[in-house]
Amino acid sequence: MALTGMRGLSVFISDVRNCQNKEQERLRVDKELGNIRTRFKNEKALTHYEKKKYVWKMLYIYMLGYDVDFGHMEAVSLISAPKYPEKQVGYIVTSCLLTENHEFLRMAINTVRNDIIGRNETFQCLALTMVGNIGGKEFSESLATDVQKLLLSSSCRPLVRKKAALCLLRLYRKNPDVINIDGWYDRMSQLLDERDLGVLTSVMSLFVALVSNNVEAYWNCLPKCVKILERLGRNQDVPQEYTYYGIPSPWIQVKTMRALQYFPTIEDPNTRRALFEVLQHILMGTDVVKNVNKNNAAHAILFEALALVVHLDAEKEMMSQCVALLGKFIAVREPNIRYLGLENMTRLLLVSDAQDIIKRHQAQIIISLKDPDISIRRRALDLLYGMCDVTNAKDIVEELLQYLNTADLAMREELALKAAILAEKFAPDLSWYSYQFLHQFHIICSDIFQM
Amino acid sequence: MVRLYPNRCQLVGSAFISGFLISLVRSFIIDYYLFCSFQIHFVILISRQGKVRLTKWYSPYQQKERSTVIRELSGLILTRGPKLCNFVEWKGFKVVYRRHDSIILVILNLYASLYFCICIDPDDNELEILEIIHHFVEILDRYFGSVCELDLIFNFHKAYYILDEILIAGELQESSKKTVARLIAAQVNVTERCVSLAF
Repeated sequence: MALTGMRGLSVFISDVRNCQNKEQERLRVDKELGNIRTRFKNEKALTHYEKKKYVWKMLYIYMLGYDVDFGHMEAVSLISAPKYPEKQVGYIVTSCLLTENHEFLRMAINTVRNDIIGRNETFQCLALTMVGNIGGKEFSESLATDVQKLLLSSSCRPLVRKKAALCLLRLYRKNPDVINIDGWYDRMSQLLDERDLGVLTSVMSLFVALVSNNVEAYWNCLPKCVKILERLGRNQDVPQEYTYYGIPSPWIQVKTMRALQYFPTIEDPNTRRALFEVLQHILMGTDVVKNVNKNNAAHAILFEALALVVHLDAEKEMMSQCVALLGKFIAVREPNIRYLGLENMTRLLLVSDAQDIIKRHQAQIIISLKDPDISIRRRALDLLYGMCDVTNAKDIVEELLQYLNTADLAMREELALKAAILAEKFAPDLSWYSYQFLHQFHIICSDIFQM
Repeated sequence: MVRLYPNRCQLVGSAFISGFLISLVRSFIIDYYLFCSFQIHFVILISRQGKVRLTKWYSPYQQKERSTVIRELSGLILTRGPKLCNFVEWKGFKVVYRRHDSIILVILNLYASLYFCICIDPDDNELEILEIIHHFVEILDRYFGSVCELDLIFNFHKAYYILDEILIAGELQESSKKTVARLIAAQVNVTERCVSLAF
């Protein structure tokens, strides 16, 4: 990655930046593209080293927004370069420029496979990364077995295994048959015992995908997930490098809780109790701190825990704790938390008991409907729509219609539709309904005639 | 994977039906995917002026679609004020973004910000993604020594190397900054060795 030999690239970038206007830039870019095209035509005389320079320039031009409709072959051909610097460029530019169904990719499969099964660890990493990013169905069929071997091999270093885990995830998404369920519940169970937290981060993503399609096969992994949460929650054996602003690997915690949401119940009482202890600790122990990033990470875990509590259909007390928390969140100044509070309250509506408790916050939600942030307004609208029933329909519909007068264009359509649906569904009597309908119709017509 | 494109039809009648369906799905947030596709679909870095500094696509977007996406998201995100939340809803997806101002440039009072944008599925954990962005920025900062837009322009290839150590298949690969720094240093080592052998 040294800039030796990349001086041509720096000069080109400077030239482009020094262009006074778009026309000049276009001229400069076209000149360079013409130059590259000529050099590529004369391929026999081009060394891998020179190809590398041109391929980087191509990528830069592509990022500027210009169409680069040639040179893909050269980028892919760099993948077979014998030395690391050129090979790396080949892999990376290919994964930026090409999509999974590109015909040239097919031609690279053998080379990629050789890199994966070969002994050069750096080449393995390059290949696994590219296949993990843009591998398609054909890659899946040819390479899944080899990638699996790397993931499960104890002689491979964590660096390779974590890439293999995510590469396998991609191949599985493209072709689920590559993972033979019968062998995998034991293997998955073993993989969850992984000590290296980098590998565990990747393995957990793989696990979430597998379990989302087939819970039956992975029941024995459930207690392991809870153990992982316990260990991380207590900050046990967590190396400093995996602690994010004092929080032990928040991403693994979030993913593990996500995985647990796919299990319909937890039958073993010990496991259930252990999990609820962890969740209780998260619910009660997450404070608002000054450091934004620590706050975000802690709340990321909190919101996932909330989702898990709702899914497990916990006891009444825990549920009311959740709603109380959310009620607090929708009124804070911090817009992210307000947004997430509203969103999670909407999710809570799926649980039948929560509706009444949520209705107590109606006033605050209506305030959010008029928030300066359109994202928050949308969440508030969804929530009002979802929490509407016969007791509060009149208020909510009238509120929505009143807001329709002043709402911005982006919101109007949805606002009008939702108000219309609610009015029809919950109309207490015909005269109220006709008034609302005509009122709305009047607003919409005046909109249309003003356009 | 289901992508929702809101129908811009003006007549209340047909808008009613399509909007009804769309709002039903959105309101009840039961997105059923055949396979768990909680993943990052793409990462885009754009400058305040709308210039693209890095793009990485983890879902299949054709060339024309990519340009459209960038144009639409630039319009949506660059116009958002500083006090608003970091999440934008767009075409049935969510885009988590974070604005980054280099310390040095702020001191010099130069108006240059970078927007890091990540597109996710609507049910994914937004704060987790926001912290992935921060994780990426911290690693870039460490590597370049307080990263600014100019670093990413002249060394965009390095930004790609670094991103490939953080995300694969639209998932977080490594959360240890120390490990990522070590891996990048090792790559530089190998490259320099090859280059010096070539001369």
